[in-house]
Amino acid sequence: MVLEEIKINLIMWFSYALIPCLFVDGVAVLPAPQNLSVQSTNMKHVLTWSPVIVPEEIIHYSVEYQGEYESLYMSHIWIPSSWCSPTQRPECDITEDITATVSYSLRVRATLGSLTSAWSTLKHRFNQNSTILTPPGMEITMDGFHLLIKLEDLGPHFEFFVSYWRREPGAKEHVKVVRPGVLPVYLETVEPGAAYCVKARTFVKAIGRHSAFSQTECVKVQGEALPLVLALFTFVGFVLILGVALLSVWKMGQLLRHSCCPVVMLPDTLKITNSPQKLISCRKEEVEACVTSGLSSEELLKAWI
Amino acid sequence: MKALCVSLCLLGAGLFLCSAHTRGLRRCLISMNLHHMEDSFRGIKAAIQAKDTFQNVTILSPSETLHGIKPLDVCCVTKNLLAFYVDRVFKDHQELNPQIMRKISSLANSFLYMQKTLQQCQKLCHCRQEATNATRIIHDNYDQLEVRSAAIKSLGELDVFLAWIDKHHRGTSAAS
Repeated sequence: MVLEEIKINLIMWFSYALIPCLFVDGVAVLPAPQNLSVQSTNMKHVLTWSPVIVPEEIIHYSVEYQGEYESLYMSHIWIPSSWCSPTQRPECDITEDITATVSYSLRVRATLGSLTSAWSTLKHRFNQNSTILTPPGMEITMDGFHLLIKLEDLGPHFEFFVSYWRREPGAKEHVKVVRPGVLPVYLETVEPGAAYCVKARTFVKAIGRHSAFSQTECVKVQGEALPLVLALFTFVGFVLILGVALLSVWKMGQLLRHSCCPVVMLPDTLKITNSPQKLISCRKEEVEACVTSGLSSEELLKAWI
Repeated sequence: MKALCVSLCLLGAGLFLCSAHTRGLRRCLISMNLHHMEDSFRGIKAAIQAKDTFQNVTILSPSETLHGIKPLDVCCVTKNLLAFYVDRVFKDHQELNPQIMRKISSLANSFLYMQKTLQQCQKLCHCRQEATNATRIIHDNYDQLEVRSAAIKSLGELDVFLAWIDKHHRGTSAAS
């Protein structure tokens, strides 16, 4: 039992010894994050660093920034980052913190319980005018004879310069400034049978820079009049469908009539084959025959009734 | 006759230079995102103005200073007022609230960028007496108050200054 307790204690002390802490003057110190760098594309800026590893522990990081104004006029002032004070991931989206086209200093430190590391500062100050601008994604569509463009939404910093032209020698290139929205933007009403080409690039006013142009995309507009054969086929098909529909309606009517009100057939004995005039003539002949045989008037009446 | 000709030519040249000067200021500030600055200010306006304990006093005195500024003096007054805010107001104000601190930092750094831009494209910005007088009035108003109160009041009047810059730079650039 005692031996087991000693064993557990030894294991615990051994584990603590594995923690990469330096003891400086008897005080435990957490190492500062290393390799700070900023990646910036299309005005989205992300600060990253190498994580501080402590087995079975969750490290928290705090990020602070200092604009050029603060560096020059109040160097003791550091401002906590909007989204990363604190954060658990070894990265921070500092887009909302970098609001002016001046140089910014950034620093990070790690925290574990009551232990706090020293601040680690970005080696070279960051300015948003160094952001990488990529050609914009775009989608060209036709709505009838309207040429429309839908551009990817890159945020409020961006304007789009859209160039479009008719694909024929000597055609004039038009330029339209577009701000992307939810709906596609109208460019031009095009002529049927022609081909049109479009390309676009972004412009960021805050840094005064353009991106490269996107790949040119061309569309061919369909002709106005349908080919004659197609029109003929369409007409014949329509007539056939109409005929079949009318036939179906008539047949349905027939079926309904027969099922609701069937025709009743008379037996042969009740069928009248001779005309009523002949019947009356026959009866007259019977009366004459009766008078010739000498019947009395009373017997004649009885025979008649 | 010759004298009349020469004076007309000089007048024309003067008018041309004057309009070029004003257009130059517009071109200079063409990459400024005033809309973003106005948004930043709008986010803190109520909190800042609530701390202003001298409601009946104004530091910018727009009717005395900004509204009467002639086109020739716009460059000088803009530079002077930017320096006023950068060198005095933002420095004298001490903010503890992190959210307000972020907005004020955004404005201060944007003003610093405006100063740099103006320095690059308006190398010769002559200050006439009218412009100097207007700037002096503003500094005197600021000095009459205790420094913290003066800083808070000046911060609360930033919308007046931003609107004045917008008015004098709008017209050649796409609205931002």
